[in-house]
Amino acid sequence: MGALAIKNVTKSFGDTHILKGINIEIDAGQFLILVGPSGCGKSTLMNIIAGLEAPTSGEVHIADRVVNNVAPKDRDIAMVFQSYALYPTMNVRQNIAFGLETRKVPKAEQDEIIARVAKMLQIEHLLGRKPSELSGGQRQRVAMGRALARNPKLFLFDEPLSNLDAKLRVEMRAEIKQLHQRLKTTIVYVTHDQIEAMTLGDRIAVMKDGVIQQFGSPQEIYDAPANLFVAGFIGSPAMNFIPCHIAEQQGVIGVALQGEGEPVFCALPPRLAQAGRVGQAVILGLRPEQFDLAGAGNGVACRIRIIEPTGPDTMLFSQLNGRDIIARVHPRHAPQPGELAWLAPDLGKAVLFDAVTETRLS
Amino acid sequence: MADQSKFWRTVIYGVLFLVAVYYLLPLYVMLTTSVKSMDEIRAGNLLSLPLDITFAAWSKAWSSACTGVDCGGLAPYFWNSVMMVIPAVAISTVLGAVNGYVLSKWQFRGSEVVFAMILFGVFIPFQVLLLPMAQTLGVFGMASSISGLVFVHVVCGLASTTLFFRNYYVGIPDELIKAARLDGAGFWRIFFRIILPMSTPILTVTVIWQFTQIWNDFLFGVVFSSIESRPITVGLNNLANTSTSVKEYNVDMAAALIAALPTIVVYVLAGKYFVRGLTAGAVKG
Repeated sequence: MGALAIKNVTKSFGDTHILKGINIEIDAGQFLILVGPSGCGKSTLMNIIAGLEAPTSGEVHIADRVVNNVAPKDRDIAMVFQSYALYPTMNVRQNIAFGLETRKVPKAEQDEIIARVAKMLQIEHLLGRKPSELSGGQRQRVAMGRALARNPKLFLFDEPLSNLDAKLRVEMRAEIKQLHQRLKTTIVYVTHDQIEAMTLGDRIAVMKDGVIQQFGSPQEIYDAPANLFVAGFIGSPAMNFIPCHIAEQQGVIGVALQGEGEPVFCALPPRLAQAGRVGQAVILGLRPEQFDLAGAGNGVACRIRIIEPTGPDTMLFSQLNGRDIIARVHPRHAPQPGELAWLAPDLGKAVLFDAVTETRLS
Repeated sequence: MADQSKFWRTVIYGVLFLVAVYYLLPLYVMLTTSVKSMDEIRAGNLLSLPLDITFAAWSKAWSSACTGVDCGGLAPYFWNSVMMVIPAVAISTVLGAVNGYVLSKWQFRGSEVVFAMILFGVFIPFQVLLLPMAQTLGVFGMASSISGLVFVHVVCGLASTTLFFRNYYVGIPDELIKAARLDGAGFWRIFFRIILPMSTPILTVTVIWQFTQIWNDFLFGVVFSSIESRPITVGLNNLANTSTSVKEYNVDMAAALIAALPTIVVYVLAGKYFVRGLTAGAVKG
């Protein structure tokens, strides 16, 4: 059963096209992430799902019902906002109760719901306080409590963690994930943070310029990005893009990689090595972890410019085919800046993009 | 260093003190003169303290001084002003709040144009309105009545009150409205439950502003009133201009103080909210 389906939704303001034909469908209980840089239309799409803005064309279905002409309050949704949007003159209890009051839930039932939600989010001791007396994390919890109290079909989260400091963000991220696993609710979550997208989502829609660039599971998007934009947006540090030409040497199809010294010919894996592509200009996409340090004489010799130790890994900054690259290696064998290192690229998981269209070659 | 800053501090406080004295001097003269007898005023000096305090002038100004031909003091004018100012302030403030709420949170096609036109109303010199307004009041059958004055003040005050509330509400995040809509609240419920409780500072500012404007207005009061509906500013003018054999300075001063008292009281009671309200936007950012 479809919990949420967005069909051919567009949104334009005059000649400005914010959304250009969005199609998304998710099942009940799934965690959908809308991710993209600012201005990509993800917040507009969220507002359209919530009913706060009307689409120019297309349909929105919630729980198999077309809701285009249904008011936000009747869509059976709840939303957590970036600024939390707690009512400043009401205390926490009143904030949670407000939506129940407008829906004419009996008082006794309201108290029961508030008690349950407060217990679940551990905000029982805060019920009498005003939002201004709460810390950022506590406000976040109250905002989630207000959404949970209504027990809706669909939860919408609009960049809920972007106002928190780094440590709290990681904590709340885990709590949201735990909440989702416990309640099995359907969630739509907007973020510009690719780590949040990867860690939280069941399904990720990567957006840019009002178009969905790719829609799939986190692993699909990580391993097989649809184009250069998705490949560069998801993953940190970003995927390395190395321009090269597909060539054939002694019956083997591969690409030449040049660091410091002579170009080294590397064979492409069978799925990429198609004879018809020989001579084509491509961009080789290699994640930083797809490099290994090899012994002298193996792999490609590269001059290391900078190293960035992060603790578990050390990032090596160098160049391949005249392009800056980053390799993630084990700190124990990490070379020093200025040294020559032998990097062995693992092309087994490499991806190729057309140099012109920037889409991935299958 | 310390000595130098102390020196400058003393200079600053000295200057401030002198300016304060300069501004308070008229009030001092009015107060002292109003409690002196005419004999003492003639004999003494303008700045001397009263020797023998008497409230006879106050009593006369309130209930028996002549304003033109009739000699009932300022009391009837005072009550006229009260009857005018309370509904006029209340109505213009409430309408301004609703206007501001719509123009900031429920924008519609052309709402910016509407706002610009309302804003224009702030800059219109009221003299321009006198003739058309007189005709309008005539058509509505409200000419020369207190309700007519209330109408004029509401219409002329709306531009300012709308501006105040609109600018205050622009600073309230739109997400609050969205959250309330998702919570099932409609236009009025959001206004009364969410927006209005947040409006104390701007309500205070608007009430003080409107009260002062309307209470102190002379132009509309003198043009659009009849003998029965004249406000206190007109009464004061008539009282001071009614010439008898002697100029009763103490009665004039007492009358002026009576006319000014309500605005002073409003400032004293709500003044701290006034400053808070004016600066609230700046601090919240």
